[in-house]
Amino acid sequence: MTTDVVQVVTRGADVAIVIDENSPFDVVTAELREYLASRSNLLSKGDITLNVGHRMLARDELAQIKSIIEANSGLTVTRFWFAPESMESGLLQVETKPPKTLGLPTNVADNHPAHNEIDLPGPPSETIAESISAVELMIESLKSRHNKNGARNRNITEALFIKSTFRSGESLHHHGDVVVLADVNPGAEIRADGDVVVLGSLKGWVHAGTSGDSKAVIVAMELPSTRFQIAKYEGIPPASDRRKLNSLSTGPKIAYVRSRTIHVAPFSGRFARYNKGVPYDG
Amino acid sequence: MTGKTIVITSGKGGVGKTTATANIGTGLAMRGHKVVVVDTDIGLRNLDVIMGLENRIVYDLVNVIEGTCKLNQAMIGDKHDYELFLIPAAQTRDKNSIEPEQLREMCAELEKEFDYVLIDCPAGIEQGFKTATVAAKEAIIVTTPEVSAIRDADRVIGLLESSGLHRPRLIINRIAPDMVKRGDMMDQKDVESLLAVEVIGLVPADEHTVVAANRGVPVVHNAKTSAGAAFLRIAGRVDGEDIPLMSIEPKTGLLSKFKGMVGMNGRAYSHA
Repeated sequence: MTTDVVQVVTRGADVAIVIDENSPFDVVTAELREYLASRSNLLSKGDITLNVGHRMLARDELAQIKSIIEANSGLTVTRFWFAPESMESGLLQVETKPPKTLGLPTNVADNHPAHNEIDLPGPPSETIAESISAVELMIESLKSRHNKNGARNRNITEALFIKSTFRSGESLHHHGDVVVLADVNPGAEIRADGDVVVLGSLKGWVHAGTSGDSKAVIVAMELPSTRFQIAKYEGIPPASDRRKLNSLSTGPKIAYVRSRTIHVAPFSGRFARYNKGVPYDG
Repeated sequence: MTGKTIVITSGKGGVGKTTATANIGTGLAMRGHKVVVVDTDIGLRNLDVIMGLENRIVYDLVNVIEGTCKLNQAMIGDKHDYELFLIPAAQTRDKNSIEPEQLREMCAELEKEFDYVLIDCPAGIEQGFKTATVAAKEAIIVTTPEVSAIRDADRVIGLLESSGLHRPRLIINRIAPDMVKRGDMMDQKDVESLLAVEVIGLVPADEHTVVAANRGVPVVHNAKTSAGAAFLRIAGRVDGEDIPLMSIEPKTGLLSKFKGMVGMNGRAYSHA
């Protein structure tokens, strides 16, 4: 078994090193060193993702792998990928360097790059010491996301809080819930792994549950005709007049997925049973 | 003296940036300030035409930046008795002829001498826009009550905020009062709630604006016109005076009622 322990996989612009989840840890490290040494001129520079599959690693093991990769090549490990058994679909992506506080930054305006693409969280860590503490934080955040049974704790989460109008051309992807205290204007894009709550008028494009969570919801104080997406289900306001009349009534709305279709209903609390929503066209 | 650099921008073209720059600049000069207006729309210069200074151009902005001439050689004095100067854009060059940093330095130089430095920004959000906005500490957005202009204004406000220019102020240009009254045009409240920024002026659609621009005499010189009066008030607000916004309503005087009855209602509007 010399071939499949370490693999390099590209997915779009993303390059990931995948380590076999069943091999013993010392075999993996040895293979990794050998692999990188044999390709040292190929992998001279750039960012890379480390995919550890279903393997459960202690934090020092993770840091060790990171330092092996960074010492034996010019690569910087910017992300780790896990595949917790509990998640029925997709991979959970966790950044190596969460912000200084455990919660995510509420003020995103300060370090906007020029094109309004909000990058969360910050750049990859520089030193190993820093990366260890980053890994520590990452594991903490993993724990808080999953309870004993492995199910994600949906009741208490860390949300990204946006306090100003989210305008046309601005876009963000957050690996959690997003709360916007103002309007989301047409042409703006929000992607969130969790729920999206807009305490204003939602006129932009929102994708909740991007990592495949079809239990994610979108709540907005005003939901004028707009299209949005929850998990893999897309919704556009219904074209038929009778249904349109219902959906056009004012007031807070909640959008959720029932039987593979997005429904929109008047919002009346998070745990109300919604079953009279207006189905959106898929 | 440390002046203020204000950029006038919109995103969408043709909403009245240049007209607003000329009129606010003139208005501020009429209030006794030393003002310089800078046209950064390199390759498509207009500000000189609107101000009637076209045939006095010898040197332009690119000449100053490249060091071909001194700063005060490129400054063209206004035809009227105000301390108002224009630095025209180059017509034969493109937006890449100047770097943001160079314009910033030039504006810092101008701020020492002038109360207000107004930058007329090119349309779009490309290099020209970035260059024009980097030098400014304040921004005025010009929009018309049309969805396309408002969408672009929204984008521009977002870009300005992300580059550190917070709290831009808004001019809603070319409001047609009778269309607003019929519900065919968005009113101030609609625009304000969508863009969520402070409105600094409402300018009614007025034929005098076009006539004035063609003559090269900004409409603000004629305070009797509705647009001229509106720009004069905007200049006052830019200057820090507290002037309440006036709602724009169709003319309802006796004469216009009579004209309406006989079917010759003009298109000039006044403020109620």
